[in-house]
Amino acid sequence: MNEERIKTFASEVSELRVNGARGDRERVLLGAGVTLLVAGVALAVVGGLRASSANGLGNQIALLATGSFIGFALVGAGAALFVRYSIARFLRYWLVRLVHEHRTETDRIVHAIESLGRPEVGRPDADPATMSDAR
Amino acid sequence: MTGVSAYDDHTPILELRSVRAAYDGGIEVLHGIDLQVHRGQVVALLGPNGAGKTTTIRVASGLMRPTGGFLKVAGHDVTGVSASSLARLGVRTVPEGRGVFPNLTVRENLRIATFTGCGLSDIEERAYTRFPRLAERRGQLAGTMSGGEQQMLALARGLATDPVVLLLDELSMGLAPIVVGQLYEQVAAIAAEGVSVLVVEQFVRTVMSVADWTVLLAQGTVRNAGPTADFDDEVLANAYLGSS
Ligand SMILES: Nc1ncnc2c1ncn2[C@@H]1O[C@H](COP(=O)(O)OP(=O)(O)OP(=O)(O)O)[C@@H](O)[C@H]1O
Ligand SMILES: [Mg+2]
Repeated sequence: MNEERIKTFASEVSELRVNGARGDRERVLLGAGVTLLVAGVALAVVGGLRASSANGLGNQIALLATGSFIGFALVGAGAALFVRYSIARFLRYWLVRLVHEHRTETDRIVHAIESLGRPEVGRPDADPATMSDAR
Repeated sequence: MTGVSAYDDHTPILELRSVRAAYDGGIEVLHGIDLQVHRGQVVALLGPNGAGKTTTIRVASGLMRPTGGFLKVAGHDVTGVSASSLARLGVRTVPEGRGVFPNLTVRENLRIATFTGCGLSDIEERAYTRFPRLAERRGQLAGTMSGGEQQMLALARGLATDPVVLLLDELSMGLAPIVVGQLYEQVAAIAAEGVSVLVVEQFVRTVMSVADWTVLLAQGTVRNAGPTADFDDEVLANAYLGSS
């Protein structure tokens, strides 16, 4: 390994941003998604109710605009955040699960092939000769 | 932060300073670990089961955030930096147990290392030069290879992409002594090229034959540290048997 590699490494390391715990940020964003979703729904409902009880078309439109439309926008943003982070969590879990299962399965298959391949001494039931005798 | 680094030849490549670590539930298992690895050095991390060796490796790789103390790489404080960022820059870990995907072929396992930006053909060439046995088996499913070959593959993958620091946790798990010896010959060769290695190993004599420096852990603290030559049988026996 040459000097150049070490120099690059040292300077890249010094540029690393130490950004707290990333797992925590994910949890915070997931929480933010839920909060936005709830706030959006509340705002839309309040806006809608106030608009329907307001008098004058101008007032109704203004209330709809600030209440319902902003509310819907928040719902959209909140839902996007929620889906993004909850799916990431789910997929990660699922991937680990799959890797684990494949690993166990391969072990089992390898084991089975091996025990077929060479019948062991001291295990007469695994010896083809003995087996045919028994039948 | 700018690109100007505080690194010079005397700065340790990897340093743990007063590192404390705890698992879920808050039980502290490392009570202030101090450890340094310099460029091209092989440091053996020894100690009885449960001493905290794997935990120390996890902290050093960034997988686990210490509850106290610092992790420094090339003189820069990287406490709390993610393991993936450190890995991308060149801090590679070969974890305890099998570090390969059994249902992928040798070649496909090597392809995983392309996340660093190296091309597959470069990675394959380096891996097969170091471990010719893998070349013969490039199309074989990793899970069907012998334990030693699987560890070769894990090591080859860690090495194929220009590592600066290598963290090894029990390469020998379940292997015959002769295979372990062969793996450690490679580790010595890697260190001679300038890679810094922190290695946990139960095959104490084998690892000490390649280590420049030895750190003995017991119950989450450093019991003893120094040049490997200073560790005689008595010191080791005491550490492993728990007397002082
Ligand atoms: N995931 C975990 N959750 C809780 N405690 C853990 C976890 N992993 C390890 N520990 C505990 O931390 C302590 C240190 O464990 P560690 O795995 O670092 O030991 P080790 O030195 O690597 O041992 P070995 O030689 O058996 O691999 C042990 O007491 C262990 O029980
Ligand atoms: Mg361990």
